[in-house]
Amino acid sequence: MEKNMKILVVDDFSTMRRIVRNLLMELGFSGPLIQEAEDGVSALAMLRSMSFDLVVTDWNMPNMSGIDLLRAIRAEPIWKGLPVLMVTAENNRDQIIAAAQAGVNGYVVKPFSAATLEEKLVRIFERLAASGVSA
Amino acid sequence: MNTTTPLAIDANLPPQLRDLLNSADGAAFEQALDTIVRQREQHLFRALGQLARDLHEAMRRLGGDLAHEGVSSGAAGARQHLQDVLEMSAQAANRSLDFAERMRPQADALSQNASEVLAWTSGNDAAAVLARQALEFADASRSGLADMVLSQSWQDLTGQRVKKVTAFIGTVESSLLELVRLTGALSGSESPAAAVHVSSQEDADRLLSEFGF
Repeated sequence: MEKNMKILVVDDFSTMRRIVRNLLMELGFSGPLIQEAEDGVSALAMLRSMSFDLVVTDWNMPNMSGIDLLRAIRAEPIWKGLPVLMVTAENNRDQIIAAAQAGVNGYVVKPFSAATLEEKLVRIFERLAASGVSA
Repeated sequence: MNTTTPLAIDANLPPQLRDLLNSADGAAFEQALDTIVRQREQHLFRALGQLARDLHEAMRRLGGDLAHEGVSSGAAGARQHLQDVLEMSAQAANRSLDFAERMRPQADALSQNASEVLAWTSGNDAAAVLARQALEFADASRSGLADMVLSQSWQDLTGQRVKKVTAFIGTVESSLLELVRLTGALSGSESPAAAVHVSSQEDADRLLSEFGF
């Protein structure tokens, strides 16, 4: 897995953004390439102003939730291939189905370990490579 | 009831009653019967009046208590406490994360240095033993720090619940304010002193009419 990836971490809790950042760095990703946004609205603004290779987003957020962010991303042709990993506290069947239908690439239930995060990321990029879509 | 036609009596009445109504004292008997019915009606009205008054009083007291205790300031206080919990827990989690971020480079450096020592000394001399120990310690520390970082997600998990409770308090607050408004509207039209005792049909009727009966 490419470690020089530009990653956008979206969560309304700053502690959770920090934890995800720590976990990603633990997996060898470069800290300075990790950006943070506190909700879907600011995430979209950041996506428009710079390019990213991966979005890791929480589900429950004020202003714009993770699922709405995902739908907004998929609605833009230029972000069609942008991998989105959904992080949520709820292991809810309906949510998982909604995320899958909206075109999510991976789904992780909090709390998760660095190993679980790595496994999900590896699978996401393996599948993308297999489908020939570049992020 | 028409006392002049005692013979137009329901055939379903018990024979004893029919006989009495048909007797010379029929009119007096019917009047007595009428009185009994009226008395019973009055009991019913009195009971209904009492019930309506109790309900009204309870609503007024509830509204008064809630207004006195200050629903808005109470709810705002509760929300503030929860906000404090969120901030304090975030602060505590951040301190742990600070510590982990500060210690990880040190663990990395120790691991690196120990590896370098092991590259030029091997066997069981003191330096090699110490270097191996340091390497083990550095690895265990790194893994422990990673666990500690991960375990700080309790702040996010508990915080989500605190936020839900905060939203619930908002709902309860608006319901209570609506109740206060309603009871206030009821209290505004009441005359509690006049309604302390319901002793007559007129009192009961007056009280009931206040409530739209």
